[in-house]
This record gives sequence, C-alpha cells and structure tokens, in this order.
Amino acid sequence: MIRSSMARWIVGAFGLLLVLGLLRFKPWQEEVVRPRQQLTVGFLPVTCHLTCPVTDFATKTSTSTRFQSQRFTDFPTVVEAIKGGRLEASFMIAPLAMKMREQGLPIKIVYLGHRDGSTVIVRKDIPARSLVDLRGKTFAIPSIYSNQYLVIRKLMEDQGVGADEIKFVQMAPPDMPAALAAKAIDAYFVGEPHAAKAELDGSGRVLYYAKDIWPHFISCVLVVHEKLIKEHPDVVRDLVRGIAESGEWAETHRLAAAKVASPYFRQDEKVVRYVLTQPKDRVSYRMLTPTDEDMLVIRDMAIKVGILKTPIAMSDLIDREFIPKDIRPADIDMAGAGK
Amino acid sequence: MTETKRTSGERVLPVAVVIGSLLLWWGLAAAHVFPESLFPDPLAVGKGVVEEVITGRLFNDLVASLFRVTAGFLLAVVLGIPLGLVLGSYGRARAALLPAVNFFRNLSPLAWIPFAILWFGIGDSPAVFLIFMASFFPIVLATVAAVATIPMVYFRVAHDYGLTGGEMLMRVTLPAIAPQVITVLRVTAGLAWVVVVAAEMIAGRDGLGFAIWDARNGLRIDLLVSGMIVIGLIGVVIDRLLFRLTRIPSVRWGYER
Repeated sequence: MIRSSMARWIVGAFGLLLVLGLLRFKPWQEEVVRPRQQLTVGFLPVTCHLTCPVTDFATKTSTSTRFQSQRFTDFPTVVEAIKGGRLEASFMIAPLAMKMREQGLPIKIVYLGHRDGSTVIVRKDIPARSLVDLRGKTFAIPSIYSNQYLVIRKLMEDQGVGADEIKFVQMAPPDMPAALAAKAIDAYFVGEPHAAKAELDGSGRVLYYAKDIWPHFISCVLVVHEKLIKEHPDVVRDLVRGIAESGEWAETHRLAAAKVASPYFRQDEKVVRYVLTQPKDRVSYRMLTPTDEDMLVIRDMAIKVGILKTPIAMSDLIDREFIPKDIRPADIDMAGAGK
Repeated sequence: MTETKRTSGERVLPVAVVIGSLLLWWGLAAAHVFPESLFPDPLAVGKGVVEEVITGRLFNDLVASLFRVTAGFLLAVVLGIPLGLVLGSYGRARAALLPAVNFFRNLSPLAWIPFAILWFGIGDSPAVFLIFMASFFPIVLATVAAVATIPMVYFRVAHDYGLTGGEMLMRVTLPAIAPQVITVLRVTAGLAWVVVVAAEMIAGRDGLGFAIWDARNGLRIDLLVSGMIVIGLIGVVIDRLLFRLTRIPSVRWGYER
C-alpha cells in the first residue's frame, strides 16, 4: 500500500516541478534572435543611477550594443557579483569602488553616474539649522563606504562638530523614511528618492541639498571590469556614450525621464518626477567626466575616516579613454515608455 | 483531529480572527497612527494585489518562487533522506558526519549568500541553493533520528522472514520512519518557503520574495504587504497539502494516539 501511495506522491512532486519549470521557462516561446552585442549593467533603484535604465530603454531600439540593466537591491550583492565574474559593469558608490580597487579587484571608474542628487533630511519637529544643532542626535547613512558619509564628516569638521558628537547608524535607504517617521533616527543623508519620500510623507524636511554642501557632489560612478576593457573596448565605448547621451537627454526631458525610469525602478512615477523637478537642480546628469581632483578629495577623506588604507593612484582607478567628445541628447522614442 | 468533526465554533473562530485583524488594521490606518505611505490601509493593499494580478506579475512571481522552492526542497529530500538512512544505519558514518551536519544546520541560509553568488551567479540557481541549504540538514537529522528509534525487534523479525537488503529497506525501514520523516517534511517545507524571501534578495527579476524587496526599494509598502499576504496564504496551502501525506493509510498509525 505504501508503495502505491508513496509512488503517487513522488510522481506528483516531480510532476509539479516539471509543470512549474515549463511555466517558468516557457520553452515553447522562441528565443529572440540577438545578433547584436549585449552587456548587463548593474544599478540600484535610486535616481543617481537613472541613466542606466534610460540607456537600457534607448538601446532597445538602437543598432549599437544592447545594454540590459540589472536591478540590484544592495551594494554588497553588486560587489559579490562582480568579484564572482557574473557582472562586468555597474553603477556604485564611489568610495566602495575605491575599496574594491584597493582590494586588488581590477575595476576602473570610466564615468560618473550623476552630480548632486542626495539630500540631508531632518525630522520636521527638530528645529535644526546646521549640523551643530544635531549634536547628540542619531544620523543615518547608507554605508560607511558612501560618499554621503564622507561629505557629512567633512561638513562636521567645517562646522566644528567632533567626530563622535553625532551618532551614525548604517541603514538600508528604503528603511530611512520609516525610521525617521518612527523617530528612531533624527536625520539622514541619502541618494534620492529616499530623501524626497520623507518630504512627501510630511515627516521630514530638507536641511541641505548636496549642492549646498559640496557643489557638483558625486556619489555614484560607473565601474567596469578591466577584462571587459581589454576584450571589448568597443562595448565600453558604446556604454559610456550611451550613458552620457542618456544623461544629456534626461537633463532636458525630465518628465519623460521619470516616465521611462519609474517602471525600471518600480517606483511611483510621481516620486521620481518630484525628485527630477523639485527643484530642477536637485540632481544633474551633466559634467560626468571623473576628474582626478574630485576623486582625490573623496579618496583623501576616505583615508582620513579610515575606510581606505592606501592612497591608490588615480591612474589605476580612472580610465577616461571612453568618454565621447561631443555629447548629444540620446534619441529616445517614447513609444512603450512607462511600462 | 479529523476535519469532518469540526464544530461550528471551530469554523467560525478563525474567520472571526481574520475579520478582527482586518478591522484592527483598518482602524490603525484610519486613525493615521503611522504615516499613510508607510502603513497602508487594507483597501490600498487590495488595490495593490489587483494591480499585480492584472499586470500578470503576481502569477509570474508565484511561478518563479514555487519553482525555486520545489526544486530546492525536492533536491534536499532526494539527497537528504538517503544520507539520513546511511548515517542512521552505519555507526561509523554517523560518528564521522553527524557533527558536520549539526554544524551546518545551525548556519542561517542568509550567511551563504556571498557564496551562492560566487558559485551560482544570479538568477534561479543561487536561490535554489539557499533553499536547499535551509532544508537539507534538518531532513538528514530527522531521518537519522527516525532510523535510530526503530525497535531492533523489527529487524530481527524481518530477518527471520528472510528479508534482506532492498526488501528490508522498502518493507521495514521506510515504513517505520515514514511518520517522523513526513512530519519533518512538513516543517522543512515551511522553512523552505520562509527562506524564499531571503533567497530572492539576490538580484533576480521575479519571485514573491524579490517582489517584497523590490516593493521596499520602490517605496511601495502597499505592494510589500500584498506580497506578504500572498506568501502567507501559499504557505498555508503548502502545509495543508503536505498534511495529506499523513493520511496515507500505511503511515496513519504514526499519528494516531
């Protein structure tokens, strides 16, 4: 008896797996023929990485390399995917890219993701006007390897606030608005739209825009693996041009850019639109060439706060070879956008 | 407990608890105790579910998660029960491997994420691996324990009847351990389903767990809650289904007190 009942269960279990497998992989659907080169580029759903999905969208119809954007939910996974050789290009926070380079991982910064686009938010009921008023308060940052942390440390120094006078906590950006609303934290500095969210909820207000603290603030950069540079320099060239032209387009087509990007972010279009337009210079996608001066400031600050140990050479870190001379706005067909 | 003998009170109570929880939830949301976008009301969540159903994402996510859980869990069963039988039957093998199995059982599948990415990249395979890691060790341990508690007299009687090797396994060992193993299968299937949320954290494109992480990143708490509800409901369905395993006539003895 057991044999027959058990046998039915076993057949049932594997039958279920088979059915699920068929539903999942749909072998009856013909594989789309892709004669073009293809590259997966990692990004996180933050407006700092907006040009990544825009480039994905633009290259759906173009004839050059097809760039497929791969959404990640956190940076450690991005790093592990690159280390494991599963990802060859990604957007990431600048100090983390330096840390990877310091660890001997052959990656190069080939372009910037954006300028500005981060915001310091404080609780509405705290009448703070500068970091001086935040002494003894809890302040959330996305990671100690984020440039937000470095910039705040720099600003504390400038305002005469001691390193241990503000209590820093590391927190996933999506949790910050909720933590602020629950009064578990008093302020935070993060890439958009996680700052605008607290503003729209009514639980926080803007203390500083990134541009007020550090004009042309950089938080994220585009990194590629040196293997890709060596084996497919044309793909890297296409990628940097694609990102540059998407940025130029987003700069002048802000509403359309929100429409294109929000399904990739799976975020409410209203929130993305708010970030891109309120005010207009909250985030910028121009001037994206990584200069030695900018990167040196970040590197030296990173060494000062102890997240980097060695002063890595800029020539090891940056490769400006692929940046196009003339940047025209990408030619984007809005048909199919927003889906 | 048999299902036919339920009194009307036993039927009404769970429904009342569900309605009561919904009312409490709705009341908290209506009173604006928490910001609306962080604590959506049941209606907003319902709309979220409808949105996910209409776009087809829910079905897609459901298939992806069920596929990963089924694959990881079946792999754990197919490898775990035989290993448990071997360890249960051979003292030396048990002495050699049991400490290691016990060690790995204690590790949270989350800790394996970096290695899952390193060995399996991104997509289905690392998630299947994590679900496997969550269910394999408990299955092995339970099988070992079940084999160890089979009274020796069973084997002696079987021996007297001339059963050996494969026959002994099919007609004595497996039937004897079946009730205990089925119980642990129910528990580990639940565990595997819990782990899917963590396993799908690894950049995927679909899955109910991924939908939850994604909703969180996308600042869509309504979709997050709708994902939670679907995961909870499917978990109940899986448990009900596996509960039927205990109804198989030849293993029922193990559950009757």
